[in-house]
Amino acid sequence: MWFHRPPINEELLQSLPNLKVVASCGVGIDHLDLKLISSYGVKVSNTPFAVSTDTADMGMALLLASARRLVEGHEMAVSPDTEYFPADWLGVEVSGATLGILGMGTIGYKVAERAKAFEMKILYHNRNQRKKEEESAVGAVYCKKIDDLLQQSDFVLLAVTLTPQTHKLIGKRELELMKPTATLINISRGLVVDQDALVEALQNKVIKAAALDVTYPEPLPRDHPLLKLKNVLITPHIGSATKKTRWVMMEEMAESIEAGLAGLPIPREVL
Amino acid sequence: IGEKVQAIYLWWHKPVINKELLQSLPNLKVIANSGVGMDHLDLKLVASFGVKMANAPRAVSSTTADTGMALLLASARRLVEVHNISISPSMEKYCEADILGVKVTGATLGIIGMGSIGYKIALRAKAFEMNILYHNRTRRKVQEEQAVGATYCKKIDSLLQQADFVMLVVSLTPQTHKLIGKRELELMKPTATLINISRGAVVDQEALLAALQTGVIRAAALDVTSPEPLPRDHPLLKLKNIIITPHLGIKTDKATYMITEEAVENILAALNGLPLPSEVLPS
Repeated sequence: MWFHRPPINEELLQSLPNLKVVASCGVGIDHLDLKLISSYGVKVSNTPFAVSTDTADMGMALLLASARRLVEGHEMAVSPDTEYFPADWLGVEVSGATLGILGMGTIGYKVAERAKAFEMKILYHNRNQRKKEEESAVGAVYCKKIDDLLQQSDFVLLAVTLTPQTHKLIGKRELELMKPTATLINISRGLVVDQDALVEALQNKVIKAAALDVTYPEPLPRDHPLLKLKNVLITPHIGSATKKTRWVMMEEMAESIEAGLAGLPIPREVL
Repeated sequence: IGEKVQAIYLWWHKPVINKELLQSLPNLKVIANSGVGMDHLDLKLVASFGVKMANAPRAVSSTTADTGMALLLASARRLVEVHNISISPSMEKYCEADILGVKVTGATLGIIGMGSIGYKIALRAKAFEMNILYHNRTRRKVQEEQAVGATYCKKIDSLLQQADFVMLVVSLTPQTHKLIGKRELELMKPTATLINISRGAVVDQEALLAALQTGVIRAAALDVTSPEPLPRDHPLLKLKNIIITPHLGIKTDKATYMITEEAVENILAALNGLPLPSEVLPS
């Protein structure tokens, strides 16, 4: 399946009596009712590691583009109305700033590795604390309370899986805890953020900016306020959208399907 | 009023330092530049009036390196294009295959000019597991190379032929003027991206335009052009495979503050007859 299509619901499962395996692209499986699918004796696989580095790269790309006002800058550089570049047009410094990573799984950790090279101070919040060696390798400090991370970060990056616990993890309260100079970056799932609260926070300058590779829904309706805000960068869920990675994902999905059809153990099975 | 001026803090090449200005300011002792590039100043002319010059090298390196990486990532992942698709008022169905980007992790980065800024770029690129090649007037020490896993390319051709991303980080000098022309662009891979954070004049712009139009290289990301801004009818502005930014280099709140601090340090030193922390002498 590709990007949630086709939706795997009861009707579909009933109409496909010989279905053996559903191979899902990417790592997220929040769009699949695993219990339902399993009740039909159908196995599920995903492609968890193929996407990690591209998604971490995307997180950094969004962080840098937002901080340095890259898209706005490009528009100024090519606009027919531009006569000169104003001397007081400035972005926000990335080097030496504080990055708070929410969700320190494979992707979150790879973001930390990259951010460290930008001399960033790294805070993280996770279901479980990482090992000391892993923390030292990237200079990351564990924040048991999410509030501590939110209050100190210049950039807050969401890299959690979508679960009932992370649904609307970032709402009005969390946004108000963030610095007014802070930027929110989301490479996880749109539903991890209370979008209405985000719109309000951006409009009222409760936070400075947002950069979102994911929204809810995707794409947003064309009259959605997020599309009109100057301090928002939106990309169409391209976290893993590079030729090389898509190739690998396809190979992995085909491999899982073949194993499923042959009755063999399925690589990357999701239980 | 000309008699009272003892110091000039140059902000983005203004005021223009020419003979008339220097003659009208008999008590001028120092010109402090905002930033590191000095190519807009006639160093010999200024020195001939007994005026000292200083730049601000410390403040710029990390911020400019950040700009280089921002452009590399934005170009590779087609950020400008896809942001416009995301916010476009029409729900045009786009083909996913058309918006695929180029993988950055594990790709080869060729850095041309491995001074402090080039080196900071190498430090950042290493964290993306990039394979780093570099070309420089002089080779760096072995420990410095090893710290970032960089391989020296004595011949620029070798770097151009292997790199997926070519990043220009040289100072503008008579030797680096039009360093990248038709020949160099043709040596690059057709899948490669050129990123320029040095000076517009380091690139032969006409040759770049032709290369981008005919697919000789995949894309370019330019923080600097010649002139800045480009004339509004310049063909480079209309290309799909280009990102142009308005000389973002050091344009952050923090860097601007630090540059001004460095300039003030130099100005005070000059006015007090002390050695300047970052004096620039005509070579």
